[in-house]
Amino acid sequence: MNYFPWLTIIVVLPISAGSLIFFLPHRGNKLIKWYTMCICIFELLLTTYAFCYHFRLDDPLIQLAEDYKWINFFDFYWRLGIDGLSIGPILLTGFITTLATLAAWPVTRDSRLFHFLMLAMYSGQIGSFSSRDLLLFFIMWEFELIPVYLLLSMWGGKKRLYSATKFILYTAGGSIFLLIGVLGLGLYGSNEPTLNFETLANQSYPVALERIFYIGFLIAFAVKSPIIPLHTWLPDTHGEAHYSTCMLLAGILLKMGAYGLVRINMELLPHAHSIFSPWLIIVGTIQIIYAASTSLGQRNLKKRIAYSSVSHMGFIIIGIGSITDTGLNGAILQIISHGFIGAALFFLAGTSYDRMRLVYLDEMGGMAISIPKIFTMFSILSMASLALPGMSGFVAELIVFFGIITSQKYFLMPKILITFVMAIGMILTPIYSLSMSRQMFYGYKPFNALSSYFFDSGPRELFVSISIFLPIIGIGIYPDFVLSLSGEKVETILYNYFYR
Amino acid sequence: MEHAYQYSWIIPFVPLPIPILIGMGLLLFPTATKNLRRMWAFPNILLLSVVMIFSVDLSIQQINGSSIYQYVWSWTINNDFSFEFGYFIDSLTSIMSILITTVGIFVLIYSDNYMSHDQAYLRFFAYMSLFNTSMLGLVTSSNLIQIYIFWELVGMCSYLLIGFWFTRPAAANACQKAFVTNRIGDFGLLLGILGFYWITGSFEFQDLFEIFNNLIYNNEVHFLFVTLCASLLFAGAVAKSAQFPLHVWLPDAMEGPTPISALIHAATMVAAGIFLVARLLPLFIVIPYIMNLISLIGIITVLLGATLALAQKDIKRGLAYSTMSQLGYMMLALGMGSYRAALFHLITHAYSKALLFLGSGSIIHSMEAVVGYSPEKSQNMVLMGGLRKHAPITQIAFLVGTLSLCGIPPLACFWSKDEILSDSWLYSPIFAIIAWSTAGLTAFYMFRIYLLTFEGHLNIHFQKYSGKKSSSFYSIKLWGKEEQKIVNRNFRLFPLLTMNKNEKPYTIGGNVKKRALITNFGYKKAFSYPHESDNTMLFPILILVLFTLFVGAIAIPLNQEGMHLDILSKLLTPSINLLHQNSNDFEDSYQFLTNATFSVSIACFGIFTAFLLYKPFYSSLQNLNLLNSFAKKGPKRILLDKIIYLIYDWSYNRGYIDTFYSISLTKGIRGLAELTHFFDRRVIDGITNGVGITSFFVGESIKYVGGSRISFYLLLYLFYVFILLLIYYFILF
Repeated sequence: MNYFPWLTIIVVLPISAGSLIFFLPHRGNKLIKWYTMCICIFELLLTTYAFCYHFRLDDPLIQLAEDYKWINFFDFYWRLGIDGLSIGPILLTGFITTLATLAAWPVTRDSRLFHFLMLAMYSGQIGSFSSRDLLLFFIMWEFELIPVYLLLSMWGGKKRLYSATKFILYTAGGSIFLLIGVLGLGLYGSNEPTLNFETLANQSYPVALERIFYIGFLIAFAVKSPIIPLHTWLPDTHGEAHYSTCMLLAGILLKMGAYGLVRINMELLPHAHSIFSPWLIIVGTIQIIYAASTSLGQRNLKKRIAYSSVSHMGFIIIGIGSITDTGLNGAILQIISHGFIGAALFFLAGTSYDRMRLVYLDEMGGMAISIPKIFTMFSILSMASLALPGMSGFVAELIVFFGIITSQKYFLMPKILITFVMAIGMILTPIYSLSMSRQMFYGYKPFNALSSYFFDSGPRELFVSISIFLPIIGIGIYPDFVLSLSGEKVETILYNYFYR
Repeated sequence: MEHAYQYSWIIPFVPLPIPILIGMGLLLFPTATKNLRRMWAFPNILLLSVVMIFSVDLSIQQINGSSIYQYVWSWTINNDFSFEFGYFIDSLTSIMSILITTVGIFVLIYSDNYMSHDQAYLRFFAYMSLFNTSMLGLVTSSNLIQIYIFWELVGMCSYLLIGFWFTRPAAANACQKAFVTNRIGDFGLLLGILGFYWITGSFEFQDLFEIFNNLIYNNEVHFLFVTLCASLLFAGAVAKSAQFPLHVWLPDAMEGPTPISALIHAATMVAAGIFLVARLLPLFIVIPYIMNLISLIGIITVLLGATLALAQKDIKRGLAYSTMSQLGYMMLALGMGSYRAALFHLITHAYSKALLFLGSGSIIHSMEAVVGYSPEKSQNMVLMGGLRKHAPITQIAFLVGTLSLCGIPPLACFWSKDEILSDSWLYSPIFAIIAWSTAGLTAFYMFRIYLLTFEGHLNIHFQKYSGKKSSSFYSIKLWGKEEQKIVNRNFRLFPLLTMNKNEKPYTIGGNVKKRALITNFGYKKAFSYPHESDNTMLFPILILVLFTLFVGAIAIPLNQEGMHLDILSKLLTPSINLLHQNSNDFEDSYQFLTNATFSVSIACFGIFTAFLLYKPFYSSLQNLNLLNSFAKKGPKRILLDKIIYLIYDWSYNRGYIDTFYSISLTKGIRGLAELTHFFDRRVIDGITNGVGITSFFVGESIKYVGGSRISFYLLLYLFYVFILLLIYYFILF
């Protein structure tokens, strides 16, 4: 084993480099943008390098582990480490954040702060995905909220303050439960607090207490994920935020909730999870249908996409609740896949909004002639979002379906029912996503209405959308890219359920 | 000769580079790619011909020694689940791949000319080869998951191609409708696949059939569940093949360019449903209810399609309903268990219908230049007529196609349809009667289309005589969809009685107005005639005529050595046949003769009726008078008129099924969306906002309370002391 602190560097680098932004000479925005871009790319390359050479896929244990004592007083460690579960989201974070920085190229207002916040968020997200200590996880979780709040409240639409406040209150409310859960888990049983994930995973609790912890964590992650009925911050936030922020929100932030569900609720509290999993599945199924049909009723383009991502999160919840190897793999695949698809859709919606300056779908129409490239990419990605085979969404949803079918926990009738209702979601998805693209692009514009000429997407925007599209289709054609990362870890997690 | 089998995985991949290259080119270097234009069409056709040669080779081997070749690779492996990819070559695959490639090549050649003036020529070719890829992938796939993948992909290609002219709102609606309707079928298909996976634990066809048969044999499965799963699987085929409850997308799909209608919506993609049922027939055959359901759906579709085709004004829609009806025949044949007849009809119908569609495309192409580039006009049969003089080659080709579809002996569809019809006698007399009478209807509506299009005078020239009578209700609407309804209401009988009622001038008047508009703007010369299409378009049509003439020969028994074997039977040796268990040769041919005479006479009756009703205006003046005098004869005639009126009403409004769907389903879903949106905003979000507002008020009131006034504090203090005393007093006593 080498003891080079790869993960510490990866976590600390963006924010420390980002704080240098304020010391850069005043030479316009260009310098800042390029600087941030370079940091992002360097970070991504560093991450990829470290994972390529120091991560072994066949090992389900923690790798690249680091363990430094931070605060002596209550046994608080700076514990980092990755395994098959977290490597996917970390790579996703690097990828999406880099592209979001590129997408934020037109932002000129207060660009120092903006780019610093982007980099700070980068750190916070990677930190929370790679922390191996419960309290550190909580701190990182909270730490990453601040940049998001600032990004929401300073750059965005007209109602941005309202939505930023809503976001921060919702998530802070969830964090209370998270904190309760963290402290409860940490302080239970022994004289000194145990916050290490490994030791916690082997601990067992009284059933009632475990349930209470479970509910606490569930609420915290349900806000983030989001799970209905705690989802209403999401459409507002996505509707108002700048599209680069939206990419981060939809691409990574929502995945933190799902990641937390697997990491803490499934891994640390297996008994409670097997008690609660039927409810999770029911909620997930309702969420698919509910969010899809709410999405149909939206007039606002971004809100419609936001509800579609709520609907897609339902599959993750079902996959987590199915307690099968297949289902959990599907959920992880859906985390990654929706990270790409959601980010790309928000990016395209944002760029087309930049041109049309119209928010409501029924005012749009006939844009396909003037912006054919955006039209092409948008239709491809709405196809990806409706789970067209050959794209990543399809594989993820299919595997989740199999997870439900092969699950031994449930009886035949509920399984049939759940599958049936999930599949109804499959009918609703094309209705909203295709009618979205139809309302935006199809049809024609009367000649006298708007004589403005729109620029089609330039090389930068094309680069962003194509580079998100490539992994989507790559995973869709060969899903083992992601499944090979998580396969071993998933087995170890599920081992607890069957042999304990 | 194993090589051919070994390398047949390449079949779907051969046409794939073209869409990828064109797509990348169009995205990254639009101008450079567009300049190449035709350069892209040639490799397209070339690659498809390679596939065709390959599949011909495969099917020759299949004829020589029928064997099933299967090869699988693993796609994803995990400890718990694994999906596999592979290819599966048997007679069905080879037939389908030959069909797809031959029709595909001719349609590509044809569309080179048809689309040559279109802005999006390259996009069209990219979509087409993407479609070919996925269709070939569908027919060579070895398991149900793969079938599902390509099933969706062909649906997507169909979506893209229907919405090809995306500036037309009608096309935009049609493509969404097609996709969503197909998605309903896919929903069933996926659930069916999952159900069968649950029952048998396999996706591979061979394993699936074997395990399933064993289970049935040992009576280990829940019968109801199996039936449910099988009917869900069948739902996929119903949607794709435009069978009865889910047929609504097919006529609307005619908004796409005509070559698409020929390739996708007549010959190949809609046959995918038939293909699926044929592929899974070993599975369905052990569940009797499903077979009954299949044949029932088939017969309903046969009748419905034929009646709906009766009064269509749009030439392509008429053909679309006819496609639907013919697909119903195939489904019926499959439901009866005569696998061979269904496949035979699939082949013959594909060529005949492709021919008809390409012919109609040729007409539309020539009409467009004269009447305008809106499907409301260029595809309107009312404005056509007398095209025989202007487009003689197309007319001959179209006539051949029409006769073939009607079932006139030497042509392709006669053989196959006759086989289905004679089999239907053995199955059930009621179904047989419906099927036979529908054969007459088929002849009637096909000849109606033919007569309205090619015989008589070119109706757009009537404008000179009746220009003054222009009416308000046929106003010019470039994308006119809304106006059509008004016209329908007034002219329900119009296409039927176009010759002996005086409504004609109105329409023509409307047309005049439009033409005047055009001439005013100087787009076009005042008088022009439709003309014959270019050779590039005529060549594929003529080749398809040859196919239509001779493709029936593959099932004609070569009776030389006392062996009753034709090519098709050789190809389908292990075929499933429920009806002809043991039939002897002589009886067979005798029965064949009687059946043939009967069906031909029914078809002739249909044709004759069509002649009677739609006989060209100029040549049959007396006849018309005769009809008119009949009309005055009495109440009997009025009753007949009423019946005809009723039928035409039904047919014009597409059997009110679309209306029903739009009222019940679309409105229902919209209502649900509104409801959930309302719930989401008012209740769930309302609670959140309510909490926020409450906390705001609580804060404000506390701020008010804590206003640092001593007197108020004292009052509060005394008040509480008082209450405390009171409580103390009550507890004490």
